[in-house]
Amino acid sequence: MSLAVPAAPARARRKLAFSDLAVRIIAGIVILLVWEVVVRLWAPPFVARPSAIVQVAPAVLANATFWQAAAATLGAVFKGLAIAFVIGTVLGVGIGRIRAVDRMTSIYISGLFAMPLTAILPLASLWFGYTADARLAIVVFASFFSIVLNVSDGARAVPPEYIEVSRSFRGSAVSRLVDVILPSSVPYILAGLRLAAGRALIAAVVAEFFVSIPGLGFYILFQARTFHHNEAFVAVALLACAGVLFEIALRQATARWLPWYRRGEPVG
Amino acid sequence: MRWPEPTVQRYVAYGLSLAIGAGLWQLAAAHTSPAFLSSFTATIAKVWEFLVTGVLIEALASSLLLFAVGLSCAIIVGVLFGLLLARVRLLRVALESYITILYATPMVALIPFILSMMGFGFAPKALVVFLFAFFPVLYNTVEGARSLRPELLEVARSFRSSEAAIWRDVLVPYTLPFALTGVRQAVARGLVGMIAAEFFLSSSGIGQLIMRSGQDFDIPALYGAILVVTILGVALMAVGRMVENRFAAWRGLER
Repeated sequence: MSLAVPAAPARARRKLAFSDLAVRIIAGIVILLVWEVVVRLWAPPFVARPSAIVQVAPAVLANATFWQAAAATLGAVFKGLAIAFVIGTVLGVGIGRIRAVDRMTSIYISGLFAMPLTAILPLASLWFGYTADARLAIVVFASFFSIVLNVSDGARAVPPEYIEVSRSFRGSAVSRLVDVILPSSVPYILAGLRLAAGRALIAAVVAEFFVSIPGLGFYILFQARTFHHNEAFVAVALLACAGVLFEIALRQATARWLPWYRRGEPVG
Repeated sequence: MRWPEPTVQRYVAYGLSLAIGAGLWQLAAAHTSPAFLSSFTATIAKVWEFLVTGVLIEALASSLLLFAVGLSCAIIVGVLFGLLLARVRLLRVALESYITILYATPMVALIPFILSMMGFGFAPKALVVFLFAFFPVLYNTVEGARSLRPELLEVARSFRSSEAAIWRDVLVPYTLPFALTGVRQAVARGLVGMIAAEFFLSSSGIGQLIMRSGQDFDIPALYGAILVVTILGVALMAVGRMVENRFAAWRGLER
């Protein structure tokens, strides 16, 4: 068993980082090998395995329908996130700064946040029909409340001294909002966005399963039903990439523009 | 964090807000087609009917069993594996990035695979709940492991602590609060997984109640079932948050 390594001098640390990378790559290869062997030995032939996925990947990636499906799903995720972000930030600031708004809405916000997003699928398809609008509505619903909760926490956590200084200099309410409250809430807004993105991706996929509209989720469902697990898995990998890329992008944004901000605990 | 205010006043405000909400709901329903929105009173009446006929208890029992099995497996495996990664650095370095990737992957995408490999039954549904809940627990436990200060282990070793003592006195107390943050997230995700499993695999429990009401266009029943799920979600999240806060205080001391 190896133990935690004590702080090492710079050169040794660089060497260590290199070997860390090697360990990671070896681990990845081992995972893929185990997967391949287990499936070959014990699973029915249609089950996805790495070598077969690599074989079908070029055909899938050259297919225009696949990319149309990807564009539809990821487009809905971005659009939904944008809508939830704008409305959620406005409402969140309201809840964080105005007590009456907090009192009247908080019970609904936390209630709807705790509600599993899958539960509204039948309701959304009832209201919007079996259309792409239903998917968009579910994405917005899924991402909205984590943004509101985090933004309201951020707006509440603005240090009172900042507000006082702004008041002393006779800053207008608008300037207080734009120059003090919003900038000070940015870390919370980013944390909310990170959580919302994960939920939005789940929502888009599950909506496609339920409503049967073209997209990556529906592609996976269709391919898996016709026992094309390898093809379906390419789509899963693309979804995983989207999730990871968004996570990385937000982390980078935090590190780039908010270097003083240590990763806190987002709500939810 | 919250506004400092007497609790009585706060509950009055919550009661008022609920009453206004119910009133608005009733008003909105009166002006909307009953095919889209059932009124507050009709929904409550339906929930009451479900309760009296025993439909609701049966559905909730079946759903909660599924949830409990999936979640407890996820917590046990996730925490034990996470602790192992906390202790064995090599394993943690090797697997950390893959755990992060799987944590960010939408697990719903695996439901069609599970359906065609395992078919209908209890086990595939429990597996779905497990997959939804497992990665938050593991991810957060590993996060705790990463922030475990190496000096603590050093000191323990300098004093010739036994392996058991290191686990009992350093690893478990240090990573447990992080693991519990993961458990709280797992409760929320597990609930989403539970309903998804009940929709897309063999239909059962509260998910079936929602699904069937939607298919029959029984609007009050649909709203009633969704209301019940929401209350269930609020209750479970409250329990999760309570457990987390109980131990978060202790983590706060170490920061």
